[in-house]
Amino acid sequence: MASFLQAIVSGLVTGSIYALMTVGMTLIYGTLRTLNMAHGSMVMVGGYVSWMLFDSLGWGPLAGLVAASLVAFLFGILIQQVAVRPLIGKLGVDFEMTAFISTFAVTIVLSNLALRIYGARNKAVPPVIHGRLHLIEGVSVSWHSLVMAGVAVTMLLALGAFLSKTRYGLGITAVAQQLDAARLMGIPDQRVYNLTMGVSSALAAIAGVLLASVFFVSPNAGDLPLLKALIVAIFGGLGSIRGTILSAYIIGLLEALISTYFGVRWSLPLLFVVIMVVMLIRPTGLLGKPEEARL
Amino acid sequence: MAVREVRDPAEAARTPAALGDELGWRRPKPIAVVALLVAAVALPVVWRNDYVIDVALTGLIWMILNQSWNLQLGIGGIWNFGQLAIFAVGGYVSALIAIHWGLPPWLSMIAGGLGAAAMSAVIGIPVLRLRGIYASLLTFSFGEVVRLLVISDESGLTGGSFGLSGVPELAFDGWSPDARQRAYYWLALALVVATAVVIYVFINSPLGTALKALRDAPAYAASRGVSPLKMQVITFATSAFIAGIAGGFYAHYFGVIAPSVMGLGPMSLFVAMLVVGGLGTFWGPILGTAVILAVSEYLRDYDELRLIIVGLILLVTIVVAPRGLVPALQDGWRRLQRWMAEDEAEREEGSTT
Repeated sequence: MASFLQAIVSGLVTGSIYALMTVGMTLIYGTLRTLNMAHGSMVMVGGYVSWMLFDSLGWGPLAGLVAASLVAFLFGILIQQVAVRPLIGKLGVDFEMTAFISTFAVTIVLSNLALRIYGARNKAVPPVIHGRLHLIEGVSVSWHSLVMAGVAVTMLLALGAFLSKTRYGLGITAVAQQLDAARLMGIPDQRVYNLTMGVSSALAAIAGVLLASVFFVSPNAGDLPLLKALIVAIFGGLGSIRGTILSAYIIGLLEALISTYFGVRWSLPLLFVVIMVVMLIRPTGLLGKPEEARL
Repeated sequence: MAVREVRDPAEAARTPAALGDELGWRRPKPIAVVALLVAAVALPVVWRNDYVIDVALTGLIWMILNQSWNLQLGIGGIWNFGQLAIFAVGGYVSALIAIHWGLPPWLSMIAGGLGAAAMSAVIGIPVLRLRGIYASLLTFSFGEVVRLLVISDESGLTGGSFGLSGVPELAFDGWSPDARQRAYYWLALALVVATAVVIYVFINSPLGTALKALRDAPAYAASRGVSPLKMQVITFATSAFIAGIAGGFYAHYFGVIAPSVMGLGPMSLFVAMLVVGGLGTFWGPILGTAVILAVSEYLRDYDELRLIIVGLILLVTIVVAPRGLVPALQDGWRRLQRWMAEDEAEREEGSTT
């Protein structure tokens, strides 16, 4: 029983961080119709920013959160301008495919740039708070994980409020729902795209700062988050924020349960089998909308 | 049957540009192809440098893989980003069979191809139900799952992250190193040519036309009686079989196959090759492999810089010429022809008046 509860607790923590990582990806897909393969790199960028602050100034991860989100915001706009914007409206090629490849190219450049600048060695970042909280006999959670989950949930709530309450957020929602109508209403689409890329990248970087002290920061620190984010995103249905958050928790819990009962080695393969079965039944994920009729 | 553009016959006869179009560049020029082949065959005899031959051989193996990938990604429009895992599965199956069952490597390579085809059916069937981006997500994560499974394998079957070594030689046991390398080179070249022939026939057959129709107008093609299911299964199986053979060849030549052939690093190279060459064109994967291989060899002393530059080349290509080098060159050639024709027409007008 204790191991089951332990799995649930760690599953909830992982789920929160997955939700934080993936929500940006789904937001970008919703507005820009781009599957941002550079999203994982933003996790890495966040980790490095936090490490640099710690290494050179001795500042803790909380300062890192702010700095990393600002840096990643700018990175997001840069990616939008360099890799995505020139492709919009190009004739004769599939935009989704070219944008997929161009953001993939950005990932290659960024992770090898990190390798060139920082080297292959892992960098360690201290946790926000040390120590563990013992809930009941045999079930415990580190304070850092609690902070992680707390920050993730706060950011998600803030994002929800931003999207439904503020002018800019409503602009993003409008573009995601109906691009032409949004343009006719005078919403500047390019500014919305920049904002979406910036905000999404900042969220990924926040996840990166939080993860930096659990794992280490390395040039390929973005690979596994990218893979997990992809899995969460397909499972939840691209473009659906609610579906993404739901699927992040489902996948977090499943992963924790599988690793508890079958071993860590099986968590990814079994998860993949589960997802494949779900995709067979619902080809657009849990809450995704079908794009076109299947043949 | 190749579909030809319908032209006004009178006009076609009149302008040299149209004539040039008709005559050549759009279909591979036989003379150029033969010259290229002769050069490729002669390379290890003319340039007696182990390193060069080794690089060229690796390039040939990649060419096979890229051609098979192009069949799905470019011509079929099926977003399969797990082809490297299929390649690796072919290599592992071939190696394991040759090691444990003692089958001659020739046979085990074919078994590797069949194994890869079977694997691709497992991933292919769910992908059939998915469109575009979802298929890419599923196949990409499939590839990563295969890679991580092999890396975390502690049973000793696949050798884990160190790879499976001691894969037997194809058939050149006891040959001198030079002769052995050359034999492998020519064999790889033969495989490249065989793959090219298979793919050329495939894309110019009714099957290929149906596949392109499904890519460009799925609803219309289906309503005209092209079965998406059948076409995609055929494409997946053909492509995976070829990739599996390439994997088997790789394993037997190098004597080792490791999970490092998969993952984001190698994938970035292969995607760059495909996109720079031109997705969906016959010559694209061949040209792209050669170009990117040359770039990455030129920069081989600067480790990380190599991939940074490959990444930048990929980015610039996709932004400037998203269809790749081959279509861009074809366009340029056609424009040159037209320009020359106009020039000529003007001169003729000048001489008559």
